[in-house]
Amino acid sequence: MIEEGRALFLQIAESVEDAIIDGSLAEEAQAPSTNELAAFYRINPATAAKGVAMLADKGVLYKRRGIGMFVAPGARELLLGERRTAFAVRFVDPLLVEARKLGLTPEDLELLIRDRASVPAASTTEGNAR
Amino acid sequence: MSRTVNVIRMQLINRQTFIWLPLIILGASFLMSLAIYAMIPTDAPKYGGGAQAPLWYFFAVGIQAMTLSFPFSQALSITRREFYLGTLLTAVLTSVILAAVYVVGGFIEQATNGWGLNGWFFRLPWIWEQGPAAAAVVYFGVAMLLFVIGFGCALLYKRFGPLGLTIVLVGIGVLLVGAMYLVGRADAWGQLFGWIATQGALGLSLWGMVLAAVIALGSFLTLRRATP
Amino acid sequence: MTTGTHVIEVKNLTKRYRDVVAVGDVSFTIEKDTIYGLLGRNGAGKTTVMSILTAQNFATSGDVRVFGLQPYENAKVLSRMCFVRESQKYPDDAKPGHAFAAARIFFPHWDQELADRLIADFQLPMKRRIKKLSRGQLSAVGVIIGLASRAEITFFDEPYLGLDAVARQIFYDRLLEDYTEHPRTVILSSHLIDEVANLIERVLVIDRGRIVMDEATDAVRDRAANIVGDASAVDAFVQGRQVIHRESLGNVASVTVLGALTLADRERLAAAGLDVAPVSLQQLIVRTTQHAADQSALDEGALR
Repeated sequence: MIEEGRALFLQIAESVEDAIIDGSLAEEAQAPSTNELAAFYRINPATAAKGVAMLADKGVLYKRRGIGMFVAPGARELLLGERRTAFAVRFVDPLLVEARKLGLTPEDLELLIRDRASVPAASTTEGNAR
Repeated sequence: MSRTVNVIRMQLINRQTFIWLPLIILGASFLMSLAIYAMIPTDAPKYGGGAQAPLWYFFAVGIQAMTLSFPFSQALSITRREFYLGTLLTAVLTSVILAAVYVVGGFIEQATNGWGLNGWFFRLPWIWEQGPAAAAVVYFGVAMLLFVIGFGCALLYKRFGPLGLTIVLVGIGVLLVGAMYLVGRADAWGQLFGWIATQGALGLSLWGMVLAAVIALGSFLTLRRATP
Repeated sequence: MTTGTHVIEVKNLTKRYRDVVAVGDVSFTIEKDTIYGLLGRNGAGKTTVMSILTAQNFATSGDVRVFGLQPYENAKVLSRMCFVRESQKYPDDAKPGHAFAAARIFFPHWDQELADRLIADFQLPMKRRIKKLSRGQLSAVGVIIGLASRAEITFFDEPYLGLDAVARQIFYDRLLEDYTEHPRTVILSSHLIDEVANLIERVLVIDRGRIVMDEATDAVRDRAANIVGDASAVDAFVQGRQVIHRESLGNVASVTVLGALTLADRERLAAAGLDVAPVSLQQLIVRTTQHAADQSALDEGALR
C-alpha cells in the first residue's frame, strides 16, 4: 500500500481521500485519528499528523475541539473535482499514447470504452486483477 | 549522593559477585585446609595460607569491575565519578563484612583450639599479634589493596593497551630493583627488616592502605578519560 | 512535529584517532520529540557520534550541548539519555533480570510493565546468564533497556543486529506504539534504511565521518526517479539533469536522476516510451552517497 518514491504524508492523505470518494467515509463522519493511521500503516505519528493537517488545510477535514477530525461537508465534491482534473493527465494521456502505438484512433477508443463499460462488474474486476 | 548509593545497590543486585563467591571461596578453602590438617599426623600447630583465597578473588573482582561493570554503567548513563565511588564503596562494604567473618572465625578457632586439630586457618599469630581489631584491619586492607590493584591493571590495559600495562608493571619492577640496589649500597638491609618487624602486620597493612589510596586516586584520574 | 526546541546541538565536532579522522567537522541539531535516522555504512562514524553525544567518548574538537549543557560527567543531563550500544557489555554472570533491575534504578521513567511485555514479545530467557545468550537475545536485552527506559533522548545503535526479521518488526512496532503514547527524542542508527524509512521523520546521513544529508524524510522521498528504457532515449531525457546512478544491459539503460518530475516531464516520458520507477529511500541514499564519494575522488584527482 505504501509506495516508494512518494512523500508518505501525501499517501496517507490520499488514502483518507480515497475513502471519502468511494463513500466509505461519509461527510460529517469522524476521520481516523492520527494515531490510528500511524498504527495501521506502521509509520511515524508525526507523518500521519502532517497528512491530516494537509487535508484540514485543503478543507477536506475540519476539527471539532476536544473530539477530533471530521469530514467536511462538500469534501467529496471537492475531491472529485480535483481528481477529475488529474484523471486526464494520469490516465487518459498514457491511454492515448498506448493507443497510438497500437494504431487505435480516438473513435476506436470510444467504441472500446463503451464496450467494456457494458460488461458486468464481476468480470471487469477479474480482468483488472492482472 | 543518592546516585552513588544507587551504584552500590546496582553492584549488589547480583549478590553472587560481591557476597556469595567470596564466602564460597572462603568456605571451600577452609574445608580443604581442615582436610589437609586432619591428614597431617602431628599435634604441633599447623598453619596454612588458605585464608588468602577470597582475598585474591577481590583482585579478580577489581578487574571485572573495570572490564564489565564500567561499560554497563555507561549504558545506564552513570557518570564515571558516581560509578567509581559507588563501586569502591561496595568493595569497602564487602571487605568489611569479609574481615568480620575472618575475625569471628578466628574467635571460634581459638575457642575450639584449632578445630580440635590444632590447625589454624583464621587466627594466624603474626596477623593477630595486636589483637582482633588489628587482624580485621589487616584482612580489610589486603582485600581493598588487591581490589584496587585489579581495577587499576584493567584500567591501564583499557586505556593504554597491553603495551601500556606492561610498561607500567615493568617500570614498577625497575623501581623496586632500583630501591633494593640502593638499600644494598647503603647496607641497610638490617635496618629495613627491623623496620618491617616493628611495623608488624597491622603497620604494613596500614601502609598498604595508603598505597591503595594512591592507586585509587590515580585510577580515578585515568578513568575520567576512559571509554567503555 | 513539535517546533524548534533543540535538545542537542553539535558544532564542528571532530574526532581524530592518530591520523584517521573518524568524524570530521560535523554540525547538526536534534529537535525534541522526533525520531531521527542516523544512517550510513558500517564504519561511517555513527557509533562514534553517538558515543560522544553521551560522553562515553570524547571529541577532539568542537562543541556538543545536550539540553544546553555539556554532557561530560553531568548526571543531570546523562540521566535523561539512554545509549545502549551495538555490542554492549554486561556484568559477568548477570542474568537479564539483573540488568533490568539495574536499569530500573537509574532511569527515572523506567516502565516495568513495558519491559515485561517486551520480555514476553522477544521470548527472552530470563533464567539464562547474559553471556550465554544468543546474539539475537543479547540484542533484545539492549532493545528492552532502550525502550523501557523511556529516556527523553534514546539512542539505538543498530541494537537489532542479530534479531531476525520478525523480531525486528516487533521492535519497530513497539517503538512506534510507545513513541505515540510517550513522545520523546529517538535517534536510530541503521544501515537497513528501507526497514526504518517509515519510522523516521528526519534523515541524518553520515559518510566517512561527514554529514552528507540532514533533511525531513518526506522531502527526500520523492527527490529521485529511475528512468528505464532504450538507452539513447533515456540519455536524451536526462540531458541537463543530475544523474547519480547509471546501469545498462544491452541497449536498455536505467538511470537514477535527481529532481522531482513535473507533469510535463511525465508526458515526455510516456511519449518516448520510457518507464518511471520509484526510488526507495535506501537506493536514494546509497546512490547519492556513492555519487558524492565518486565526485570527491574525481575532484581530488583533478587537483593533483
